[in-house]
Amino acid sequence: MDALLKIENLKTRFHTEDGVVKAVNGISYEMKKGEVLGVVGESGCGKSVHALSIMRLIQIPPGEIADGVIWFEGRNLLELDENEIRKIRGSDIAMVFQDPMTSLNPVYTVGFQIVEALKLHKNMSEKQGKVRAAELLDLVGIPDAKKRVDNYPHQFSGGMRQRAMIAMALSCSPKLLIADEPTTALDVTIQAQIVDLVIKLQEEMGMAVMWITHDLGVVAEMAQLINVMYAGFIIERGTAQDIFKRTLHPYTMGLLASLPSIDEAPGTKLISIPGLPPDLVDLPQGCPFYARCIYRKDHCQKNRPGLEEAKDGHYVACWRWDEIKVEGAK
Amino acid sequence: MTEMNLSPGEIEDFAVREHRSLWLDAWRRLKANRTAIIGLIVVLIFLLSATIAHFFWEYEPKIDLDYSAKLLPPNLRVSEQSLKIHPFGTDKLGRDIFRRTVHGGWNSLRVGLVAVSISLVVGGILGLLAGFFESIEMYFWESMALMAFLGLALGALPAWIANQIFQVFLFCALGIISVIVDKKNLSKHIRRYLFAGLGLLAGGLSGLLVAPLVGLVCGILGLGIGLLLAIPVGGKIFSNIVMRIMDIILAFPSYLLAIAIVAFLGPGLEKGMLAIGFVGIPIYARLARSAVLSVSQKEYVLASQAVGESHGRMLFRHIVPNILSPIIVQATMGLANAILSAAALGFLGLGAIPPEPEWGSMLGDSYKYLSSGAWWAVLFPGLAIMLSVLGFNLLGDGLRDALDPKLRI
Repeated sequence: MDALLKIENLKTRFHTEDGVVKAVNGISYEMKKGEVLGVVGESGCGKSVHALSIMRLIQIPPGEIADGVIWFEGRNLLELDENEIRKIRGSDIAMVFQDPMTSLNPVYTVGFQIVEALKLHKNMSEKQGKVRAAELLDLVGIPDAKKRVDNYPHQFSGGMRQRAMIAMALSCSPKLLIADEPTTALDVTIQAQIVDLVIKLQEEMGMAVMWITHDLGVVAEMAQLINVMYAGFIIERGTAQDIFKRTLHPYTMGLLASLPSIDEAPGTKLISIPGLPPDLVDLPQGCPFYARCIYRKDHCQKNRPGLEEAKDGHYVACWRWDEIKVEGAK
Repeated sequence: MTEMNLSPGEIEDFAVREHRSLWLDAWRRLKANRTAIIGLIVVLIFLLSATIAHFFWEYEPKIDLDYSAKLLPPNLRVSEQSLKIHPFGTDKLGRDIFRRTVHGGWNSLRVGLVAVSISLVVGGILGLLAGFFESIEMYFWESMALMAFLGLALGALPAWIANQIFQVFLFCALGIISVIVDKKNLSKHIRRYLFAGLGLLAGGLSGLLVAPLVGLVCGILGLGIGLLLAIPVGGKIFSNIVMRIMDIILAFPSYLLAIAIVAFLGPGLEKGMLAIGFVGIPIYARLARSAVLSVSQKEYVLASQAVGESHGRMLFRHIVPNILSPIIVQATMGLANAILSAAALGFLGLGAIPPEPEWGSMLGDSYKYLSSGAWWAVLFPGLAIMLSVLGFNLLGDGLRDALDPKLRI
């Protein structure tokens, strides 16, 4: 399997009145065909921005993709002109957004909006498109899809709307589906259904999925590889096993520790990582996690660690991962 | 999902109700609103009577004169004093007021409709583009077209002063050059000097062909335009320039500006339309821009972009339908306003040219006879103005309620 998506040193900036917000700071990674990649991190760590950068949906200005290369099937997405990137959007790379309540246009029927994508990329006629739209809605598990095609978004529940969004994203059988926190706005049972649905569809259609979330539980279940992001950097990358069982980075440890466990006694205080992520306008010179790290040393304050391979396929950006492991073992 | 042993025919999904489109829904709510229906009926009566009268009831205002029937009171029966039926009486020239009021409706309503269309189309498109490009990045050719248009518009003033049409095209070209230079990333200072110089040349030299003073004035104007065009191209800049021009128009009292324009163009119905339409442009531009700004932040616009849709489709298929309701309401209300403005211009003798019937000018013609007891000559055209304005206002109010998504049941 060769690489579907290869990102090299991607940097995205936003020029605001308060200064330059460095939202994504030189991240590099690869995604293979049919792979499920989880991207986790807390709010404002650049997860969504890096996904939008891949689609070139960053608003310029104030945004700017300052540096980097995004290879998608051998083409640099950042160098394509508007018409070429438009052909890729929706047909090769599709995206599902966070809030299903606002991501469907209220003045058109759900079917119309799916048909529109089909007409755009597959040259389908209105009639063919409508049949296909009904099939797609059926595929994503909407009952009575033939009738539902002519419904307006306000006649759909939140979960159904998200299903419709997924149907819309899948309409042109994309090679990469970017799901930007698709379950955040939904309640837990619907979340599980959506996750199951995407896993099922991923297996059937063989597309790659990038699942962006702050919910570690969700990615543990579905992702083969996980990128942990912090302040616009990837600070740890590895398989789900690596991240959850052989954690190396102190931030990931903190994240995992703050997951509430089901056998905890009631009334136990929830653990959280003290402090706040650094100001993206004024990034610290050294390790971005320095201020909150319990293993920090002076060296970390001055020098920024790069992503290095700790074990095959398991990368970490920390000066002391070796020592921490020893300490942890003790 | 749980399995249920129901055959597909048995499943009755009660959440699925008969789907109605937005417009059908709005119409249903409008029907339920009694005052709106009254407004609609009044408006329809006026529109129909005016149209039917215009096409099927010949009227030649220039030969309509009957000194024997001067200032007759309304009568519904033939008598010794009046040999014809005059339901609304006659005016100082013995013309039947009923007839003139009905025919005047054609002119007055036409002024209203055309004026609102002018301000709606020009203002709406300016506002749409300004709002859209403020939130979404422009393509190269789009910025080129917009800057060319801006150069055209800005060049109009010096071109008019110098009486040299080609000045307009010079500034248009300057706009296009500015986009190309923008792509080359020239430093800010060089741009500024370059464009100020070019603007000065374009304005001044062509003005000099006419007279040194004109050349000087045009040169100074060109300098300003060059500086404006030298600002690196972006949606924000375009929007800013357009909206500031709108603010300038808005800074004049609207009636005064309309009167000034008509006084400048000369009286006449068409010129009245132009003047009233022009004065209304900023209202629609602001409305459209603000609506586009809020709608284009919605996720479905981003989603449509992520599906790979072009800017045109995003703007006209996804944004426009969502901002239509405030604009429709404003246009309906604006019609009432435009009719009123048209009547005001007519009253001052700046609207329709005299023998042509028009409500405002009918009022202006006859108010002098009010003191001699001819109340009917003023009452009926006045009533026509009042009722049509009321009708449009009631309808507009009803539409606002009907189209407001927050009140949707």
